[in-house]
Amino acid sequence: MSIISVRDVSFFYNEKKLGLKNINIEINKGEWIAILGHNGSGKSTLAKTLVGLLEPQKGEILIDQVLLNDETAYELRKKIGIVFQNPDNQFVGVTVRDDIAFGMENLCVPREEMLQKIEFYAKKVGMSKFLDKQPSNLSGGQKQRVAIAGILAMHSDILIFDEATSMLDPYTRNDLINYIKTLNKEGLTIIMITHDVNEALLADKMLILNKGELYAFEETAEILKKPEVFHECHLELPVALEVASLVKNIEVKEKLWEYALTK
Amino acid sequence: MGIRFNQVTHEYASYSKVTYKAIHNISLSILEHDEFIALVGHTGSGKSTLAKHMNALIFPTSGTVEIFNNIITKKRDKKIKYNSIRKSVGLVFQFPEYQLFEDTVEKDIMFGPLNFKVSIEEAKKVALESLELVGLDESYLNRNPFNLSGGEKKRVSIAGILALDPEILVLDEPTSGLDPEGKNILMRLFKDIHKKTNKTIIIITHDMDLVYQYFNRVLVLKDGELSFDGSPERLFKSDILDKNHLDFPNTIKTLKHIKETMNLDINIYQKTVEDVIKELNRVTKNE
Amino acid sequence: MNSIIIGQYIPGKGFFYKLDPRTKIVAVLFLMIAVFMLENIAQLFMALGIALFILLLGRISIIKVIKGLKAIFVLLIFTFVFQVALNTEGKILSQANMHFNLYSVIGVVLAFIIWRLLVRVGKFKILMFIAFILGVYIILRYVNFGTDFYSFSLTIYEKGIEMSVFVVVRILIIITFTTVLTLTTKPTDLTHGIESLLRPLKKIGFNSEDFALIISLSLRYIPTIFDEAQKIMAAQASRGADFSEGKLKDKLKQIISLLVPMFIIAFMRSEELADAMESRNFVPGQPRTRINVLKFSMIDVYSGIFTLLCLAGAIVNKVI
Repeated sequence: MSIISVRDVSFFYNEKKLGLKNINIEINKGEWIAILGHNGSGKSTLAKTLVGLLEPQKGEILIDQVLLNDETAYELRKKIGIVFQNPDNQFVGVTVRDDIAFGMENLCVPREEMLQKIEFYAKKVGMSKFLDKQPSNLSGGQKQRVAIAGILAMHSDILIFDEATSMLDPYTRNDLINYIKTLNKEGLTIIMITHDVNEALLADKMLILNKGELYAFEETAEILKKPEVFHECHLELPVALEVASLVKNIEVKEKLWEYALTK
Repeated sequence: MGIRFNQVTHEYASYSKVTYKAIHNISLSILEHDEFIALVGHTGSGKSTLAKHMNALIFPTSGTVEIFNNIITKKRDKKIKYNSIRKSVGLVFQFPEYQLFEDTVEKDIMFGPLNFKVSIEEAKKVALESLELVGLDESYLNRNPFNLSGGEKKRVSIAGILALDPEILVLDEPTSGLDPEGKNILMRLFKDIHKKTNKTIIIITHDMDLVYQYFNRVLVLKDGELSFDGSPERLFKSDILDKNHLDFPNTIKTLKHIKETMNLDINIYQKTVEDVIKELNRVTKNE
Repeated sequence: MNSIIIGQYIPGKGFFYKLDPRTKIVAVLFLMIAVFMLENIAQLFMALGIALFILLLGRISIIKVIKGLKAIFVLLIFTFVFQVALNTEGKILSQANMHFNLYSVIGVVLAFIIWRLLVRVGKFKILMFIAFILGVYIILRYVNFGTDFYSFSLTIYEKGIEMSVFVVVRILIIITFTTVLTLTTKPTDLTHGIESLLRPLKKIGFNSEDFALIISLSLRYIPTIFDEAQKIMAAQASRGADFSEGKLKDKLKQIISLLVPMFIIAFMRSEELADAMESRNFVPGQPRTRINVLKFSMIDVYSGIFTLLCLAGAIVNKVI
């Protein structure tokens, strides 16, 4: 069942700057999709069109079978949330509690319900003890967790991560990604935008953008055996895959592909 | 002697009057040329604090830091010209957004030299030289820094410090946020500068692959203390990484996996992908 | 480096902390009006007495309030001196010639030097200043040797002293009220209170809710901006920008090197923030529920009655 449909979407920033060209994608409920591409390939542009922050000049987007436009954006934004790259520039509230509440306040959720949901979702992301803390006392990873809680509290079942780990150190990054894994296991659809192929390997499918166009969209297990796809799109393969593509022994190749997928 | 830390501790006071030791009892020596050092450690281990002592941006709360024969203690010494230390030890921070401010690349790079009373003609000359050192050509001089890509901005910010011609160069995560191609361009650049000019270069990084490939000396900080000072090989053969929330380089991890799952006698200490391939081909030739 | 203490708010317990911010804001306003209606010193000292009594009741440390006064100390001295010098009503309390001759001028210069030295070493800067002023007065009045190249008659009238005390005490009372307000009210609660009081303005097109959101966003970013300023200064200092010394022309360049990155970062931030808010269903002007609500309690009622009584008393006093 298709939860997101992107049909022949094109977006131009202006005459000179192309964002996206003729993009066609179908994403199913519960899938984990990684969107990869070099800087400027259109990844963030695509993310923003999916939540209605940018309106494509051509084509249409359907979220849960409903066409995304000015009138439906408000309702559809309840289903699809986005966590941005800079943890500081999306934290609205003066405290963690206020920030998680922000989305619900916009949806006119009654106060009693808000308080309950805040307790519930803060616990879910492991931030129960931080409800009264200010953002200046939180680490980048903690702020991203608060962002996730705020979106889950709006009952979104699609989460987009727009390079949400790139400003975090490796240790915190791993932590956050493990948490996203649990969310996916619970049935949430995850769209993860990254230029880190290692992160992308966790996904069910990889979508590779190159200069605004869709270059490839395949199961991860298949695409990692095609190093030329990554090279042509200016993406660096992780060591294990680079080695797998060059080594002669087939058993070693298989072991390396296995290793890359399970890390 | 370039920089010497003698039992340096730096405490920050926080609003609740509880002091927090960012670095504790650090002693180490850095020569004024020929060194190529990686500084690693988990977040909060004190790397940035350590780096800021190296150009006297901050003073130790106890202990002394000797920088090119200036002895920095916790008190401000009127005889020391702290500002001129920044000409000998150049510190480049992680985000170019905190540094770039002029409307042309040329003017921005000239800012540093002009602060040290260099003439305008000389500053212009130096700006062009520094630009070329970071791999950007003349055409960038009149461009607006804010219209550059992330990688180009980084290089302009590095050029801004190179223009001061410091003897020791310290860079805080210069490759973070860059795509893999950009990372390698930059690292080769530093290695180039190091070879051409013999300057000592210290780089703070999280990337263990880079550490293994490019450096001959690694400093590991853990919770504000120096837990290792030596070669990358020795570091990876010890158990210090596990204790420090730090990862092994991918070449080693990959070979370790093959060694264990296929029960082969592999030398896992290989630096580059080419080395790994050679070793694997060697070991599997007889299979 | 980050703290809850934005503005003068210091967490604590006591009467004033339990009051609704709206009550406090309105009370401060009404009481200020009441104080301005008082006409003589006796009434003013009564008001001061009430203010001190309130402070004690609320267990506010008087020391903290005095610290808040330090900032306007110079203003108070100025006001005092002005009133004394210019007011010419009432009995003459003292009339004396102030002599400017070689010796007195040297005396004044010496006093100045001694004062600056003592200030550098000692702690009681305010007392030193007062001592300096008194010293200058004594020197100019009594050092009468040789020929004066200039002299004038400094006459201090009774009314002058009275008025200056009056004005100074009035300022003190007002400052006390506002200090108590900011000391006991969190900036966010203050914003909430102001927004709530301004809500009726919606009818003329001013959206107080959006305004309050802007203010609370600004408050939330103060520590962040402070941190960024530090980082920018560190980056520019590493290029030789010395923020403490240098000629005026250099200083200008240094300030620009600090401000330009701050503005650029602020612009980028506002774009990203707007995207984040919009993706979370924020629509400016649309009704929203609130997680933080203000509630009145009995304390507010009592305080309100007290304030109204004070105001009424002042009005009655003025009219009679």
